Amino acid sequence: MEKVRERCLTGIEALDNILNGGIPKGNTVLITGSAGTGKTTLSIEFLVHGAMKGEKGLYISVTEASEKLLENLIVYDFFSKEMIQKGIIFIDIPEIYEKLGMNKLQFSMEDINLLIENIVKIVTEFNVKRVVIDSITSICYRLQTEEKIMEFILRLSKALSELGCTTFLVSELLPSAKGYSQYGVEEAVSDGIILLGNLERRGDLLRTLRVVKMRGTSHSRATYVLDITSIGILLVPLLKGGGELI
Amino acid sequence: MNSEEFQKKLKTYQEPLSISVSVSLSNYFDIIKYILDDFSNNKNIPIIYISATIPSKSISTVLDVYGIDSKKIFFVDCISHIMMSSTAYTDRTVFVESPTMLETIMLKAEYILNKYVMKNSLVIVDSINSLAIHNDMKILSEFLHLFVTYLRSRSAYFIILSMKEQSNNEISNILNFVSDEILEVE
Repeated sequence: MEKVRERCLTGIEALDNILNGGIPKGNTVLITGSAGTGKTTLSIEFLVHGAMKGEKGLYISVTEASEKLLENLIVYDFFSKEMIQKGIIFIDIPEIYEKLGMNKLQFSMEDINLLIENIVKIVTEFNVKRVVIDSITSICYRLQTEEKIMEFILRLSKALSELGCTTFLVSELLPSAKGYSQYGVEEAVSDGIILLGNLERRGDLLRTLRVVKMRGTSHSRATYVLDITSIGILLVPLLKGGGELI
Repeated sequence: MNSEEFQKKLKTYQEPLSISVSVSLSNYFDIIKYILDDFSNNKNIPIIYISATIPSKSISTVLDVYGIDSKKIFFVDCISHIMMSSTAYTDRTVFVESPTMLETIMLKAEYILNKYVMKNSLVIVDSINSLAIHNDMKILSEFLHLFVTYLRSRSAYFIILSMKEQSNNEISNILNFVSDEILEVE
């Protein structure tokens, strides 16, 4: 009989059903896909539902100033700006880089250690239970080698998992990419992969979602069509009418 | 059956089920009027109207003429966008870019059901023939099968309109498969 691990509910009902009850607590999940597929929205909703349950969230913004992100964020019926301020910590990574004196293009192992220590410190201090790093690709860009990327993700995942944190690493893919991550390493060391895509079918462009891998739970590997609405992300099975994921 | 018998038949429905209604061009608007009148005014059941034949704005206008309050009806309009008609969003109308986006039609219906917490709602598809123009039969039957199953799980009534003049064997087979009852109105 399968041993059931404690779950972290994403709050997106259909996704939790796909995952047979949510993400196993402490997992590090790669949220991957090309531009405009809903990676940031899905990640924010994950934090929002956590905050509603009293689980503190941490959003580390790498590519966009969080102030600008919040301005463009979809207005959920079930969530207020006050609740965001109370339940989610937004940090722009350039602030951390500056604080740690890491304003360089290429990071050393020492820098990696410093960065992980700093993230863990914030998580511990605020008793954070859900973390989103948006995007891991931009951090990997400064790590340069596969060894450093692997070391960074493995050590960060382990540290956050030991603190009971479930983590989303947002990964940017080119539409033409073959694997699930830019450097090929991120997908191998993550506990889970949720692939978001654009499906073109007879001139229509549909947003899609597929759970490719999730350690610690059985799950559907089918493709679902996704809609971003004011009541959150909704999913229905993709009809088998052909089309190509891009 | 004739129009009178159809109206009587509608009154007998007390439990959610899936019904296909075959209409002709001459009684199309009358049948829509009877259905909406019975479910909205008599049964007081919220309605989601999926319009793939005529833009929702035109249907609202017709309903106003018939004295049916279209404010009680939510529209999933999947024809206005491709006709380049006005697609001003309102609380009661959501638009789907094209009738080929069948999954999006389901998503929009689910959105309305969840947002307005509807129990015992009615979902009308107008019409299977219009959807058949834009989609192949395999994907259309898959869509209706999934949609019917989903709506049953939500205890919703489901009415699929079909136009007698535009029907064929394939459409009849799909309707036979997904409907609990098939009504033909002369």
